[in-house]
Amino acid sequence: MTGIWYIVGFAVAGVSFVFLTIGAAWLISHRNRGDLHKGLPYESGIDTFGDTHGRFGLSFYIYALLFVAFDIEVIFIYLWAIAFRSLLLGGFVSMLLFVGILLLGLAYAWRKGVLTWR
Amino acid sequence: MTVVGRTWERLTIPGKILAVVIPLGAVLTAGLAILIAVIGGAVVQFLVDNLPLVRFVVAATIVLLMTVPSAFLIIYMEMKVIALMNLRYGPDRVGPFGSALSVVHGLKVLMKEDFTPTGADVPVFTLAPVVVYMSSVMSLLVLPFAPGLFGQDFNIGLLYFFAMGGLTVVGLLMAGWSSFNKYSLLGGLRSAAQVISYEIPLTLSVVGVILLAGTMSLNQIVLGQAGNLFDWYIWRQPLAFVVFFIAVTAEANRTPFDLTEADSEIVAGFATEYSGMRFGFFFFAEYVNVFIASGLTVAVFLGGWNAPFNWPWPVAVGLDPGSLGIGLLLLLTLGPPLAIVVLGLPFYLLNSRIRFWQALIIGFGLFNVIAVAAVLGLAFLSFDWVVGLLWFMGKTYVFVFTFVWMRGTLPRVRIDQLMGFAWKWLLPAALLNLFVTAFAILVLNR
Repeated sequence: MTGIWYIVGFAVAGVSFVFLTIGAAWLISHRNRGDLHKGLPYESGIDTFGDTHGRFGLSFYIYALLFVAFDIEVIFIYLWAIAFRSLLLGGFVSMLLFVGILLLGLAYAWRKGVLTWR
Repeated sequence: MTVVGRTWERLTIPGKILAVVIPLGAVLTAGLAILIAVIGGAVVQFLVDNLPLVRFVVAATIVLLMTVPSAFLIIYMEMKVIALMNLRYGPDRVGPFGSALSVVHGLKVLMKEDFTPTGADVPVFTLAPVVVYMSSVMSLLVLPFAPGLFGQDFNIGLLYFFAMGGLTVVGLLMAGWSSFNKYSLLGGLRSAAQVISYEIPLTLSVVGVILLAGTMSLNQIVLGQAGNLFDWYIWRQPLAFVVFFIAVTAEANRTPFDLTEADSEIVAGFATEYSGMRFGFFFFAEYVNVFIASGLTVAVFLGGWNAPFNWPWPVAVGLDPGSLGIGLLLLLTLGPPLAIVVLGLPFYLLNSRIRFWQALIIGFGLFNVIAVAAVLGLAFLSFDWVVGLLWFMGKTYVFVFTFVWMRGTLPRVRIDQLMGFAWKWLLPAALLNLFVTAFAILVLNR
């Protein structure tokens, strides 16, 4: 139970440290609103054009999907790894099947060329 | 008033400083003494009644404040080591061998203008460095530094560690999205794609260690490697170590996997629009992450705070200061002046250009060095956590040096090589390692 409070406490301590430092920097640093061009996004010197949050590669989404599948798998594997010494052969075979099914999915994605960055 | 004013005018600057500092110090000391006398007992009673709270405050303070010097040290190491590798001098102006330059850099960043672009989403823009830094501080909570010296020993230590490490992605993505800049957006998305891809091999490669140790608690994993050099998990999990080290380099966004801030392609990646202290915190967190990554590698694969051979210490030093009686008092009062004179005398006698007071100053310096060395040596002999901390820090800084070395020698990879390598090589290798380990445990039955 104390562990939870340690996590919460560390989060609060870390956040307050950052805010205190940023606040101190805000107090002693130089400030200048500047003109219109100061607030423009940096695009190598020219004024920006087009939509900033526009279109970007689809590959990012596909990797995210693959990540979700395998990350859930990792959670199961961790628990299985802790209990492995009491599961032994049965546990080994079932994990082989479980990972095998997931690897089929990975093989399908690989075959489809998803893993090649375009 | 004029008398006071005229006297004040006549003082030199050190005199003015002393005239302000000495009365102020006297008043503050008196105030502190009165405060302790009035409420000291109650405060001590409160602290004794709330020991867990005291332990938490001490742990959080040490961990938070520890990040600052370790980041400065790693920044200095990076500047100096890469300079030497490039046959340059590197920093050599501020402090001995330029060692204070990273502190000056930190102060400079603190005083720079912290600007928010007009198009930015201000709350998210401000919170992004907070999230990034917070995730590294929270990872430090479970890192075992020495026997009995850790923030908290969770039974899900490794899982917690990777969960907190994964929070970094959220911060980088927030920075990329809220900056309202195309380079930032690309940098943020690249970092997300890279970090989540390498998270899978990273988390899968340690499963072999979990199988061997039978626990996820980092403290227990380190205890399971007690003994000598050959009890470390690196010998039983060599493939896992290679996969883990590559993946942890990518997780910490270090060269050769620093595509998120590839300055030749996307300016500065997610940090393009950041300036001042908010920019500083991204890089602060990056260097803390280098330390954390090295520390985790050491804890999981290289025995943590265990010595590489059977360490005969801690030994009980049979020295009881109380038994000396009045001799202790004499030793404490007469020892230091005598030692200073004895240490300073050779300089005075052998070099005719050194005056006696200069020799005394040299003697004082030498005496301090010897006294500190004696105290540290005594602590090293009698407390096992001092030994453990030294071994842990030594191994960790070997890995920090390796990270810097890689930055000095390896070129940046292309993004298609980067993503393909994680999914086509590291993931199958990690799974292979996992099943080989499980099979070995099954067959050898141990």
